[in-house]
Amino acid sequence: MKWWRSVFSMELRKILAYRSDFWVTFLGQTFIQLLIARALWKSVFEAQNTSSMEGFTLDMMTLYYLIVPIGTRMLTGENIGFLSREIYEGTFTRYLIYPLSVFQYKTITYLTNSLFYGFQLMILYVLYHVCYLGDSLGNLPDLVLGVSLFLVASMTYLMMAIVIELLALWADNIWSLMVMLRFFTTFFGGGFIPLDFFPAWATNLLQWTPFPYLVSLPVRTTMGMTSVSDITNGLIILLSWCLIFMMCVKFIWIKGQKKYTGVGI
Amino acid sequence: MRRYFRLYLHFLRFSFSKAMEFRIDFTFRIVMDLIYYIVNILFFKVIYLHTPMLAGWSEEQLMVFVASYLLVDAINMTFISSNMWWLPQHINRGALDYYLIRPVSPLFFLSLREFSANSFLNLLIAAGFFSYTLFTYSHPFSFLELLLLLTLLLNGVALYYCIQMLMIIPVFWTHSSRGFIDLFWAMGIAMERPDRIYQGWLRKVFTVILPFSLVASFPARLFLEKFDWETFLHLASVSLIFWMLMLFFWKLGLRNYSSASS
Repeated sequence: MKWWRSVFSMELRKILAYRSDFWVTFLGQTFIQLLIARALWKSVFEAQNTSSMEGFTLDMMTLYYLIVPIGTRMLTGENIGFLSREIYEGTFTRYLIYPLSVFQYKTITYLTNSLFYGFQLMILYVLYHVCYLGDSLGNLPDLVLGVSLFLVASMTYLMMAIVIELLALWADNIWSLMVMLRFFTTFFGGGFIPLDFFPAWATNLLQWTPFPYLVSLPVRTTMGMTSVSDITNGLIILLSWCLIFMMCVKFIWIKGQKKYTGVGI
Repeated sequence: MRRYFRLYLHFLRFSFSKAMEFRIDFTFRIVMDLIYYIVNILFFKVIYLHTPMLAGWSEEQLMVFVASYLLVDAINMTFISSNMWWLPQHINRGALDYYLIRPVSPLFFLSLREFSANSFLNLLIAAGFFSYTLFTYSHPFSFLELLLLLTLLLNGVALYYCIQMLMIIPVFWTHSSRGFIDLFWAMGIAMERPDRIYQGWLRKVFTVILPFSLVASFPARLFLEKFDWETFLHLASVSLIFWMLMLFFWKLGLRNYSSASS
C-alpha cells in the first residue's frame, strides 16, 4: 500500500505548488461567491419583508452558500481533462509501466483533492460559527457526517466524470461535456438555489437523478437539516449511482482501450 | 487600421476552418452554451416564484438585464475568451516571443487571434433572446435609448476584457499557468446580478474596484429607468481608468517577461 501514499503526497505537493495563487483563488472564490449569494438573498428577504423562506433564515442561507462552493470543489476534485488530456497528448501510455492501474492512480489523486477541500470546509465551518455567529464550534458530528457524504458523493461524481472523460477515446474534445455535467450538477443539485425553492414537480422529478444527492444532501447534512432516514436513503442512492457509473466505466473502457493509439492528436 | 482589419479576416478564416475540423466538439460547445443560457434564465425564474420584485425590478425588467449580460458574455466568448485561456500559458511557457516579434500590436494579436466559431452561433442565439426581451418589453422606448443600451453594452465588453486581463497579467510575476483567471470566473457571477443588491462596501467593490456591475447592470439600469448622468459618468470614468490601468500593467508585465518557461 506504499504506492498510494506516494501518489497522495505527490498530488498534495502539486496542489500547494503555487501557494499565492492557491490561497487567493480559494479565499476569493469562496468569500466572493458567498457575499454575492448573501447579497442576493438579503435583497429577496427584504423585498418579501420576511425573516424566513422555505425553512431558511438569512444566516442559514449564508452557511449554505459557504458550504456550497467548497463542497462543489470537493465533488469535482481534479480539473476537467484529468483523463482526456492524457489521451489527447498520448501520455496515457505511461500508466502501463506504473505499479497501479490508471483508475487506481486517478482515484487517489482525485480523492487527495477532495480531502484537501474537505479539510478547508471544516476550517471554514468552524470559523463561521466562532467568528460570524460568535458561538461554539458548531455541530461537529453533523460537519463530519456532511464531509463524509461529500466524499462518497465525490466518488460517484468521479465515476460520472470518468465516463465522460473516456469518451475522449472517440470524440475530439470532451471539455464542453464536462462543463455541461458541472452545470447540471450545480444547478439541479441545489448549488445555485436550494432545492426547497424549486417547484414541487421539479424536486419530485430530480429525486430520480443523482444530482440532489451530490450537492443538496451533503450540504443539508452539514447544516443539520436532514434526518437519519434521509441520510441512509441518500447514501444508498448515491452508492447505487456510483455502482451504475462504475459499470458504465468498465463497459466504455473495454470498448475504448482498443481505440487508443498512444499517439495523441 | 486596414492592415489590422485584413489580419482579423485571416484570423476568422483560420478559426472557422479549425472549428470545422473538430465537428463533434463544435456541436457540443453550442449545446454547452445553450445550457448556460437556460440555467441563467431558470435561476431567476425560480427566484421570481418567491418574490414579485428583485432589486427594484420586475421579472420582465430583470429579463432585459439577463439578456444584456448574456449578450456581453456571448461577445466575450466569441471574440476574446479563447485567447484569454491561452494567454497565461503562453507567458508561463515562455511562448510569448512568437507574438512579440510580429509587426503588429502583441496585445491585439494575443487578445483577438482565436475567434470562437462555435460561440458565434451562440452569439446569434443570445442576440435573438436580447431582441425577444426588448420586443416583449411592455414599456415603450425610443431608438436613441436602444442605441445607448447597445453602446454601453459594448463598453461593458471592453470593461469585462480589461478586468480579465488584469487578472491574467500577474502571471508575468507569479509564473503560474493560470494566473487569477479562476478567480475572475468565480467573481464574474457579480456581473450576473443586479447592482442594487450590493450595499455598503460590497457595492464599492463591484462598482469601483472590481466593476463587474458596470458591465451589464448599469447599462440595463440606464435603459430600464430614467437616464441618470451620475450613473453614466461613473460608468464612463471607471471604464476609462480600467482601460488605462490594463495598458499600463500590460506594458509593465512585458518589461518583466524573461522568455524562460516555468
